[in-house]
Amino acid sequence: MPEVVVPIGPHHPALKEPVNFRVIADGEKIVRLELDLSYNHRGIEKAAEQRNFIRVLPLLERVCGICSHSHATVFAKGIEEIMGIAIPPRAQYIRTIIAELERMHSHLLWLGIAAHEIGFNTLFMWTWRDREAVQDTLEEMSGNRVHYGMNEIGGVRCDLTPAQVGAALLRLPNLEERIKKYMDILNSEDTLLIRFRGVGRMSKEEALKYGAVGPTARASGVDYDVRRDDPYLAYAEIPWNVITDTRGDVYGRTRVRIGELRESLQIVRYCLENIPGGPIRIDAPKNAPKGEILSRYEAPRGEVAHYIRTNGTDKVERVDIRSPTLANWTSVAMCLVNQNLADIPVIVAAIDPCLSCTCRMVVVNQKDSTNGTDRTNVGIAPDPGDRRNRGRP
Amino acid sequence: MTDPLFILFYIFIFPGFFFLFGYALFLSYLDRKIAARMQQRVGPPFFQPLADLIKMLGKEVINPDGVDWRVFDAIPVVALAAVMTAFLYVPVIGASPLAFQGDLVVVLYLMALPTIALFLLGWLSRNIFSAIGGVRAVTQLFIYEVPFFLALLTPAIMAGSWSISAIVLWQQHNLWLVFLQPIGFIVALVGLQAKLERTPFDIPEAETEIVAGPWTELTGRRLALMHLTTEISLVVGSALIAALFLGGPLLPWTLSPPWLNPAAGFCLFLLKTLAVLLVLSSITVATGRLRIDQLNVIGWKYLASAALVQVGIVLVINYLWVTP
Amino acid sequence: MSVLREMIENLFSRPVTILYPWKKVPIPDTFRGRVANTDELCIGCSKCSLVCPAHVITMIDGPRDVEFREKNFARKKRPQVDLYKCIRCGLCERHCPTGSIHLEHVHAGTGTDRDVMVT
Repeated sequence: MPEVVVPIGPHHPALKEPVNFRVIADGEKIVRLELDLSYNHRGIEKAAEQRNFIRVLPLLERVCGICSHSHATVFAKGIEEIMGIAIPPRAQYIRTIIAELERMHSHLLWLGIAAHEIGFNTLFMWTWRDREAVQDTLEEMSGNRVHYGMNEIGGVRCDLTPAQVGAALLRLPNLEERIKKYMDILNSEDTLLIRFRGVGRMSKEEALKYGAVGPTARASGVDYDVRRDDPYLAYAEIPWNVITDTRGDVYGRTRVRIGELRESLQIVRYCLENIPGGPIRIDAPKNAPKGEILSRYEAPRGEVAHYIRTNGTDKVERVDIRSPTLANWTSVAMCLVNQNLADIPVIVAAIDPCLSCTCRMVVVNQKDSTNGTDRTNVGIAPDPGDRRNRGRP
Repeated sequence: MTDPLFILFYIFIFPGFFFLFGYALFLSYLDRKIAARMQQRVGPPFFQPLADLIKMLGKEVINPDGVDWRVFDAIPVVALAAVMTAFLYVPVIGASPLAFQGDLVVVLYLMALPTIALFLLGWLSRNIFSAIGGVRAVTQLFIYEVPFFLALLTPAIMAGSWSISAIVLWQQHNLWLVFLQPIGFIVALVGLQAKLERTPFDIPEAETEIVAGPWTELTGRRLALMHLTTEISLVVGSALIAALFLGGPLLPWTLSPPWLNPAAGFCLFLLKTLAVLLVLSSITVATGRLRIDQLNVIGWKYLASAALVQVGIVLVINYLWVTP
Repeated sequence: MSVLREMIENLFSRPVTILYPWKKVPIPDTFRGRVANTDELCIGCSKCSLVCPAHVITMIDGPRDVEFREKNFARKKRPQVDLYKCIRCGLCERHCPTGSIHLEHVHAGTGTDRDVMVT
């Protein structure tokens, strides 16, 4: 067959969120890829400039459903650093527990999706069944299965009771066994091996050149994890390991993610058993002093970075979100060339794409190569204001 | 047994079209229920395949722009007619009254027609996904058809006849062919899984890669009939394997009241086709989908050579021991 | 092979699906459900309305004599929440000084009227 354009997206059963891959294929081999990522843009960065520090955290949580705690925590941690306040250790531990539980639920979800993309629905059903244990724990601790709402500037919103800690610890041994079983299935199941091995291989130099982050880069041998190299929350006090792999293909990335599942479970268990007592929050000032900070965090998909600039008021002047999926898309575009058409869903799923995180507005001024932040002329309407007096006739 | 009323009853009511229709829906229900229970889900209720069929028949038929809708309407009907006719030659309660020398070849030919129909549908829908799916369907047909035919040829060689009913009769006086030709049995099962386009061979219909392949532009009653064709192919395929390898609906001895023989034969038929379905369902649940080039390697390297080895063994056995 | 063994084991055990509506998933008591307001405790300070990130709380007329921190005064307003626009973040509950506005431990429910207001 001659070269044809196969439109994967914006609506496609392989994608959970809209993205437009225009794949130019020659028979079953991919020649070129044209990527259009802008379908999920919601104007969150602009909306965040009009909300004060109490109201902006639920907004930033809703950047993404799966890594919601990541965005809220990285912003809260950045603002706390600008303000110069240190949150109590119990709050650090609670934030860490929720963060690692979120990593576990995200990786289990990813495992199911990766199996579904190759038609192996059994593994999909089993991993999502085990994910329910993590979701139940999160629901007991925070009140909701996604969008936990645990963070505040100055600490954590609600405390962990001993009953919740006990219930969570009881669920962990079963999960540990299931994770071991998934590693066995990965190593022995023939169709998984044959579809994942050698597919979408990226060497270490390529990973560094294209700016891949997270498990995608760690599977190619890049030994970088923000939790170890730029420690935050309670990670400096907990014994844990960074998981890397040298293969660089989808199989390597799966191994890294299952390894991280195991490590996260150990971290959660350590934190639940050794959580310190004390208050869970301190009073934060209403306004933040003038300053700018780049706050980083290891989300389940990689390194998420928030650039925050404050100007002495109770709102941020600018928040720029660089999510990990945005950093990983270039590596997908490079890995897909010369692969099979049938491998597109596998390679795309291997970076764990989260389009809601990705679609941010970047204005690049080509004349003097500054990064513009003036969006008043792109027509995004400001906040409608408070409604204290709306009901008055 | 050439009474025309009996022939009409055989073709249309039992064990012809009416029974086939009901049994196809039942096997489809069982397939989905077993797959669901293996995944620790509940699975659909008993009447689900019938409800799906009725629902799809009532839906709107959408004709894509520029597509010849008359051909689109006709192709699923032809495919359905082909597999329904194929069932008439498979023994259900004893030897089929329509049997003749060479009906094995007719059944195999008729069962290949749905794949050709899918290719035509894929080619005629002016849709890149359907075209890719149609091409994959025919590529898959070329790959598995050779080992499948060879594996089903060996029972004919051993029994010395080209009629399925005669092969079943031969097995009644000798051993079941699954014990004499185990390699052929395994190749036939894998080939049947590929013919029915079930995981790991559901490459033409890969949902996450090419939407629905050649099924993309089928809607309404066309989709209902094509779906029914797939379900009936499952019955015909498993009945064929049960007849050729597992001895079909005949007991090794005849029972005393003469009407008990067809009844016992029917029960055996049900049991054997259910056993084949259990194996096919387990394969579907336990594996993921292969790529078409990987299927190419596996098909020609392992399946075709295993089938050839089996043919060789059967020829040697036939030469050394003269079959009665 | 581990897959095969687990498949056969699952065939002979009960499914994990909870058959709604005959059985329901147990809801923990920290669940953030439907928003509700206890009129007796509310002092009309509008903190909930100020803090709500989705702007779904408006203050309407609601005079009542209330007591707060040993002082009696006449409250002028009370909150009205647009039930189906509420995102159940819990900030109103967190910042309410008396604990009158809170999230109950039931689901927000469904309905056909989009503008259901909870006061």
